[in-house]
Amino acid sequence: MSGTAYGRAYWIALPLGGAIMTFGLIGLVGDKGISTSLDVGAWLVAADVAHDFVLAPIACLIGAVAARLLPRWCRAPVQAALLVTGVLLIVVFPALRGYGHDQVPDNPSVQPLDYTTSTLTVLAVVWTGAAAWAAVRLASAGPGRRRPPTRARPDGLPTSRR
Amino acid sequence: MAEQTTPRVFTSELHDEHNAALLGVTLGVTFTVCFVTGVLSHLIQDPPSWFQWPSRPAGLYRVTQGVHVATGLASIPLLLAKLWVVFPKLFAWPPFRSVAHLVERLAIFPLVAGGVFELFSGLADTHLWYPWPFAFRSAHYWVAWITIGALVVHLGAKWATTRSSLFDPSAPAVESSASASAFDRRTFLLTIAAAAGAVTIFTVGQTVAPLRKLALLAARRPDTGPQGFPVNRTAATAGVVGAARSPDYRLRVEGKVRRSLAFTRDELRALPQHEATLPIACVEGWSTSQRWRGVRVRDLIERAGAASEAEVRVHSLQRRRLYRFSDLNRWQAHDPDTLLALEVNGEALDIDHGYPLRLIGPNRPGVQQTKWVTRIVVK
Repeated sequence: MSGTAYGRAYWIALPLGGAIMTFGLIGLVGDKGISTSLDVGAWLVAADVAHDFVLAPIACLIGAVAARLLPRWCRAPVQAALLVTGVLLIVVFPALRGYGHDQVPDNPSVQPLDYTTSTLTVLAVVWTGAAAWAAVRLASAGPGRRRPPTRARPDGLPTSRR
Repeated sequence: MAEQTTPRVFTSELHDEHNAALLGVTLGVTFTVCFVTGVLSHLIQDPPSWFQWPSRPAGLYRVTQGVHVATGLASIPLLLAKLWVVFPKLFAWPPFRSVAHLVERLAIFPLVAGGVFELFSGLADTHLWYPWPFAFRSAHYWVAWITIGALVVHLGAKWATTRSSLFDPSAPAVESSASASAFDRRTFLLTIAAAAGAVTIFTVGQTVAPLRKLALLAARRPDTGPQGFPVNRTAATAGVVGAARSPDYRLRVEGKVRRSLAFTRDELRALPQHEATLPIACVEGWSTSQRWRGVRVRDLIERAGAASEAEVRVHSLQRRRLYRFSDLNRWQAHDPDTLLALEVNGEALDIDHGYPLRLIGPNRPGVQQTKWVTRIVVK
């Protein structure tokens, strides 16, 4: 973190942002659609905990394992594909589980697809792209491996480290 | 004041100020877009006395709400990436260096919790999934204010760091050390962009008709449902099947009129009919344009002798629910395309689309296109 002192921007933003937050909090407490704002508070805490102590550690763990186990030529493509896969699964998971449609079973226009098939289709596109990328890297990096380490690759990066 | 240190377990060079600043600025833009379009949608649905939403352009709400949902969905990878970049700071020691810093860090809780809650609840709403005990719209709306307030505080706190990190050429070099195989900065940022792009491509077809075949991860397809387009609430769920099909069905026009009127469905069909191609633009983010045919609201209330500036409340056969009626302000009530539709695409309305009669008007949220209309009250 650079700079310990706060500039003028912070001292303007603090009361302004505080006022906006207070407005939201008062509205939340007084809203008729919310029987007790403790419910929303609990969901806010749960949202934070679910991210900080479940989702983020899992993501860090998967990233760390991938970085250690994967060979160099496919490391970046696989990590990128894992990231995109994770995000797409988050977006589609209610449909995969049928959450939503189960509350309106007589309405076939809610979640109308076979989401297992559609998700696998999308992921096949993602991983095909990653595989093509890895193949290109393998092809371009392959011959360079046996050359002396002093020689730079065409992209200007050193050929070998570690 | 002591510098903070973060745990050594986080070895990636991607946890740095430059990535945090870049993703932070991007999120600042997307959250602002979501906030502005969201507040607008809220005002349209619950208009205070100073707010009058026009009936033109006809497709404006479709665009603002489509942008709201698409931007929110695309923000999911942006927020997760940003939080991952700054994740080591959660465990920084000592936890704060000064009172000002403590306040800054405390304001991060409503920012993170609010941001995650807004994106999760918005995603769930697109699926009509409500796993919580409160009204979605109330919570989503008020938490948006709390989140934006926290974002303002955070922006103020990070203003100088962000500027120097992104724009100051004399700032410390931000290039990651060149390692040929690593998941470097450029790859990381391009991957985040690709993830946001993939989310958009595979969901935005729920409102952008040419891309509907690609909407493989969206909860709705604009070409799927009775008569070829979606339904949010079926007649059976609304409990109106009997009343809608009853021979006793009447449309009544009453309130501040010279004479109250009542029509059977056949009598409505005998009145001058008007056609309009208008979108149903749902707050959940799907939309679809259809060709509607029916009676102008304007003609009906003029026939009953309403004042020329009159506003109108349109009631459904539904007994319960927040959306059992909707209001037409004077622009909407007198727009020549605001119809009580009897037909869509040349067929009588399906009962799930509002048979015998539904309201359809330009530039309105789907929840206000009241179905199974039985009463118009002139105000």
